[in-house]
Amino acid sequence: MASQRIGELDFSEPYGIHHRINNPSSSLINDQGSGFDFGELEEAIGLQGVKIRNDETKASFFTGKPAATLEMFPSWPMRFHQSSIGGTNNKSGGESSDSALSSKNENPFEPESPLSKKASSFCSSDQLQHLQLQQDMTNNNDVIKTASSPKSAHEKLQRKGGGSTSDNKPLDAKTLRRLAQNREAARKSRLRKKAYVQQLESSRLKLTQLEQDLQRARSQGMFMDWSGGVGSNISSGAMFDMEYARWLEEDNRLLTELRNGLEAALSDNEMRVMVEGYLCHYDEVFRVKGVTAKADVFHVINGGWTSQAERCFLWIGGFRPSEIIMMLIQQLEAVAEQQIMGMYGLRHSSQQAEEALSQGLDQLQQSVVDTIAGAPLVDGVQQMVVAVGKLANLEGFLRQADNLRQQTLHQLCRLLTVRQAARSFLVIGEYYARLRALSSLWASRSRDQTIITSDENSCQTTTDMQMLQPSHNHFSSF
Amino acid sequence: MNQESVMHYQVDPWNYYMMRVRRRRMEEEDEMERVMRIVSESAVVIFSSSSCCMCHAMKSLFCGMGVNTMVHELDQDSKGKQMEKTLMRLLATNSTTLPVVFIGGKLVGSMDTLLAFHVNGSLVPLLKQAGALWL
Repeated sequence: MASQRIGELDFSEPYGIHHRINNPSSSLINDQGSGFDFGELEEAIGLQGVKIRNDETKASFFTGKPAATLEMFPSWPMRFHQSSIGGTNNKSGGESSDSALSSKNENPFEPESPLSKKASSFCSSDQLQHLQLQQDMTNNNDVIKTASSPKSAHEKLQRKGGGSTSDNKPLDAKTLRRLAQNREAARKSRLRKKAYVQQLESSRLKLTQLEQDLQRARSQGMFMDWSGGVGSNISSGAMFDMEYARWLEEDNRLLTELRNGLEAALSDNEMRVMVEGYLCHYDEVFRVKGVTAKADVFHVINGGWTSQAERCFLWIGGFRPSEIIMMLIQQLEAVAEQQIMGMYGLRHSSQQAEEALSQGLDQLQQSVVDTIAGAPLVDGVQQMVVAVGKLANLEGFLRQADNLRQQTLHQLCRLLTVRQAARSFLVIGEYYARLRALSSLWASRSRDQTIITSDENSCQTTTDMQMLQPSHNHFSSF
Repeated sequence: MNQESVMHYQVDPWNYYMMRVRRRRMEEEDEMERVMRIVSESAVVIFSSSSCCMCHAMKSLFCGMGVNTMVHELDQDSKGKQMEKTLMRLLATNSTTLPVVFIGGKLVGSMDTLLAFHVNGSLVPLLKQAGALWL
């Protein structure tokens, strides 16, 4: 309802800020501490509008005044200019403004209507009543009713309204004073708005600069660590933890999208796009792991970035593909016979690959241990160098393991339909979410336990005896 | 031979250079031929190094599948270095990439390509085709 009345206000460019600030506007009005108050500005403008309309209705007296007031708002639309320039145009201007107001439709001036709509959202109840009075004024020049408001502009309006209704020819001095006060208020509002806009612009610039710095530091941080950590305080391990945290957030977002897509029963093509996107998401994490492994292979392979439960089941720095396939075979419904056979085959091949890589890793471990153990007590530097060289192979194993995981996921998507693939991703995501929840539950449980066990120290010996009993039974069979 | 090359150098540097290039190319061709000869001898040939663990992983993969492979330990071969270089050229890579596997006389590649083929499901047909796997 307010928008129709405001349609008459004809805001234009100087209030372009309205276009940008939408939602926070209402908070701006309430928050006097922000240093800018649209309210007073609105009132000042409204007063001007009222003033000019008054001028139109009392054409003879106000021919000079509108020119003076319009100087303050040079970018008012032409309508007002026309209405002010010639007394002959006053009536037409008045009629057009009336029609615009009474039409209760979109403002004929296109660039103003979005602004007017936004302006409507800015107005507090004070302004609503204030604007209402304009309509009343144009329609029947009645007594203005305003809510009790401490704002001086309202008092001015009351005074003015009272003046105009009671007196058809207000005194020059009075109107001059009111005009001057209006001018002052409008000028102050404009200055405040200017200052606020400048503040916003500077903080925006600062924000973009900060973002750029962050990006640069992040990329430089990783790069520097490769070259020996020159000038970088962030270790590559910590960097990877941050990257992984971001990847997890992205993962959650993509999984929610997949879930919504499945529930909304989107078309196959759209689902395929999402599934491909999710595969790329996984490719991304494998890529980052590879990059980090060049700098800090132990962090990645030991799973310092995982939760405790995940770390327990870790295989060469990540999940074991055959386990995931097995879980999917058990959890997925509505899978055709052929697909199940395919998945069993995939599981079999990945098991063989895992076995091979594990054996290779065992041999590496054995070789390193032999090298270090066989080093002479004095000056075993040579062996240490050899051992370090052998450890470099760890990165290769991690890369092969990640490659295996990546290939398994891609092959899975080839075996299944798009919807089944989406569901399997959801199952995997849910599984890992539960693992992480398990970790945190366990952490809180162990915290409680330490409080309890300290009270039970006296019973410790009896429990030990009970534990020994079963082991006796084991050996008795021999 | 040395005197020949010295004379050439004294007389014509460009020819000397071209002669060296030609000789290197012949050697490379020899090497390539040698490699091709080796890989055609057996259904599955792995070029590996006895101390390399990834090679051990590849050998265990084939063992686990029941495939008999011929393993060429390049660190125990007199011309091992040159063979390694030839293999690197074949794979179009600059880093040492042992192990390298050939199936049925054709280049398959390094460990990651092999794993990709295996997960794809295309390794077993390839082995059957080469006669390395029955069943």
